[in-house]
Amino acid sequence: MVIRTVDLRSDTVTLPTKAMRAAMASAEVDDDVLGFDPTATLLEAEMAKITGKEAALFVPSGTMANLISVLVHCNVRGSEVILGDNCHIHIYENGGIATIGGVHPRPVRNNEDGTMDIGLIEAAIRDPGGEIVYPTTRLICLENTHANSGGKCLSVEYTDRVGELAKKHGLKLHIDGARIFNAATALRVPVDRLVRAADTVSVCLSKGLGAPVGSVIVGSASFIAKARILRKTLGGGMRQIGILCAAGLIALQENAGKLKHDHKNAKALAEGINQIKGLKVDVTSVETNFIYFDIEEGSNMTALKLSKKLEEYGILIMFENSSRSSSKITCLFVCFQIPPTHETVILLGCLSGFDLLHTIRSRRGTCSTQYHA
Amino acid sequence: MDESILMFFSSEACNLFFLCFLRRHKQNLRGRHKARKAKIEFPPSQVAWLLDSLLFSSSSPSILHSFIHRLPPPPYIKNLTAAYQTVKTEESAGEARIRGLSIIKPVKMVIRTVDLRSDTVTLPTKTMRAAMAGAEVDDDVLGFDPTASCLEAEMAKITGKEAALFVPSGTMGNLISVLVHCDVRGSEAILGDKCHIHLYENGGIATIGGVHPRPVKNNEDGTMDIGLVEAAIRDPQGEQFYPTTRLICLENTHANSGGKCLSVEYTDRVGELAKKYGLKLHIDGARIFNAETALGVPVGRLVRAADSASVCLSKGLGAPVGSVIVGSARFIAKARVLRKTLGGGMRQIGILCAAGLIALQENVGKLEQDHRKAKALAEGIAQIKGLKIDVASVETNIMYFDIEEGSNMTALKLRKKLEEHGILIMFENSSRVRLVMHHQISEGDVQYTISCLKNAMAGLPEENGI
Repeated sequence: MVIRTVDLRSDTVTLPTKAMRAAMASAEVDDDVLGFDPTATLLEAEMAKITGKEAALFVPSGTMANLISVLVHCNVRGSEVILGDNCHIHIYENGGIATIGGVHPRPVRNNEDGTMDIGLIEAAIRDPGGEIVYPTTRLICLENTHANSGGKCLSVEYTDRVGELAKKHGLKLHIDGARIFNAATALRVPVDRLVRAADTVSVCLSKGLGAPVGSVIVGSASFIAKARILRKTLGGGMRQIGILCAAGLIALQENAGKLKHDHKNAKALAEGINQIKGLKVDVTSVETNFIYFDIEEGSNMTALKLSKKLEEYGILIMFENSSRSSSKITCLFVCFQIPPTHETVILLGCLSGFDLLHTIRSRRGTCSTQYHA
Repeated sequence: MDESILMFFSSEACNLFFLCFLRRHKQNLRGRHKARKAKIEFPPSQVAWLLDSLLFSSSSPSILHSFIHRLPPPPYIKNLTAAYQTVKTEESAGEARIRGLSIIKPVKMVIRTVDLRSDTVTLPTKTMRAAMAGAEVDDDVLGFDPTASCLEAEMAKITGKEAALFVPSGTMGNLISVLVHCDVRGSEAILGDKCHIHLYENGGIATIGGVHPRPVKNNEDGTMDIGLVEAAIRDPQGEQFYPTTRLICLENTHANSGGKCLSVEYTDRVGELAKKYGLKLHIDGARIFNAETALGVPVGRLVRAADSASVCLSKGLGAPVGSVIVGSARFIAKARVLRKTLGGGMRQIGILCAAGLIALQENVGKLEQDHRKAKALAEGIAQIKGLKIDVASVETNIMYFDIEEGSNMTALKLRKKLEEHGILIMFENSSRVRLVMHHQISEGDVQYTISCLKNAMAGLPEENGI
């Protein structure tokens, strides 16, 4: 029996709130393929406004948002796209840009902070003089925040520099902004300033913002018009989507402001974990809502064992690898659905078999905590 | 009834008007519990129109949103907006949207909307909305959404297949099915030259999936001659030049033939042919439940010969979103991965699946009435001078009628005229019109449509539809 579930696997596990469910139940809807769903239109207008782009398009997932963006920018056969070797598009999207879209990826090394060296990017741009043997570079992709580096933010300055480089060579710039609101919160820069240099951005509603489904692509009106068709082609042309978009609107209104609490919680959890003997985390590298921690060599614990033990207590985590005794574990904070941090830290301390370092403080009330019997 | 048309030349003016309305409204409601006593200074027609046009324009989303979700409207406002529905032109909404401008398009007010463009326009019912609001959900990518699992188990059971997979659309249902059956490069799929996959899915099986289509002539009843299908199967001996045939696709009901049903016998024969040559058989069963209803044969029997089928929930069954692919467990496992690849891996989909479950429970039984209403509409159209329709060919909920030569009418003109009366239709070409029946068209709507068509063809002066 489990008293409660603390799901730290990902921020995609966020469940819809009461306000969202109410909004979904009463949403004004229409056929978004034959015409335009009014609630979807509202959401798309809102997203365009927030990001400072001309238009927007609701899509079922972040994967489809990136896939559509890359394929529309690279709609001529023989295209190549420069992206980080540790970015989501390259690692976790089934290689779709190639297998589905016929676009050639050109991965460039991601630094630990999620950036790629500007010099290396420039060197990766294909010389049109070599077109007899080269594909044609058309696009550069950035990811902000960069998940695999631990949710690191790309600064405005860096983004602008990459944008200038793209312009200089006649390329487009796409930002995989699945967690762009986390970046905006951590950097204290408005989203539209953060993505100004980009031609297009994909933004997830179903992660930290907490909507049940969906992402939004933003860009120019002509881009979005093409994206709409490709969305239909890929099978993302859904009908009465106002239901999902209503939840998305609530997410934007209510939960974008809560992200700073997630970041505070993440920092607190990281500091707590760091004090546990046998676990190691670089607290300064926790910028947003991601934590990676390692199990030190020499301890008997492996990530697999730890995750099983934690599961008995109702805490769910994801691990990167467990074959070595030093293993990386991810903890992701879920917007407003995680209880006060010290309880999780206490449990981690117990289970890793080392001294308890935190005392239990009285709990404050939490909202929407999921209890599972 | 007079037409009240207000034009706003800027969103700011509109916002101002709306804020004034809101402020007055709030004052009137404060301390008063009986909505009837609240005074609204704007005539109801303008109130309803304003609400409606704001809902359908892209202006002032935050104000509108706060109106919808924070301030409970008094009962009579709700009734007004329910009773008065506006006709939206696709062009005006689309224009405003693409330009991202906040322009209110003036719309005339009509009493009712009869949307015969497709059965995809069905809106979620009250029970669906309730089910969606209370659905048990979880991350369907990291694990399994419980409501989605329910729906998928139910669909597998109904269709007699091992497993099922919820997908965002029928297009994705077909795309995934074709691509999984033809996952080796150099594959070819045999399908009807007038089938949906070939005509209305952006050629995705080729442009996205690299699968070569081999169209075979569709007969008027939606079938393809078995002999022609067999002749189209590539001889493996010619592999030096030929792609490899791996799949045959059928469509039941066949939309472009007018919603015609493929019989069990025909489907079984195609299935035997496929087996004989080691091919797979996929049925685009977007409207398979309509076929079941018209033929009196359960879906499970109808698709027995097929390796996979895609079934739409968002058409006549009335769910807001989604289709379901059914097939073997191995097939569905591959389909799940491809669904993710295409971007169809959505998270808490239980919300949509809950509506799908209601659709299966409540609306399959209503399809018979849809067929009857379609028949009644067809018979009414047959009596109108200048229009021609083959009533006997109306088997399910789709009908085509032609505008006879010699009349002054074109399909475009007819559509515009009907639109003024709140009736929405789609036309194939300048003389051929398609109508699709669904459960949200009443018998009164059918009669209304017939009389409006009659008036349109007789060239009578326009009425306001009261």
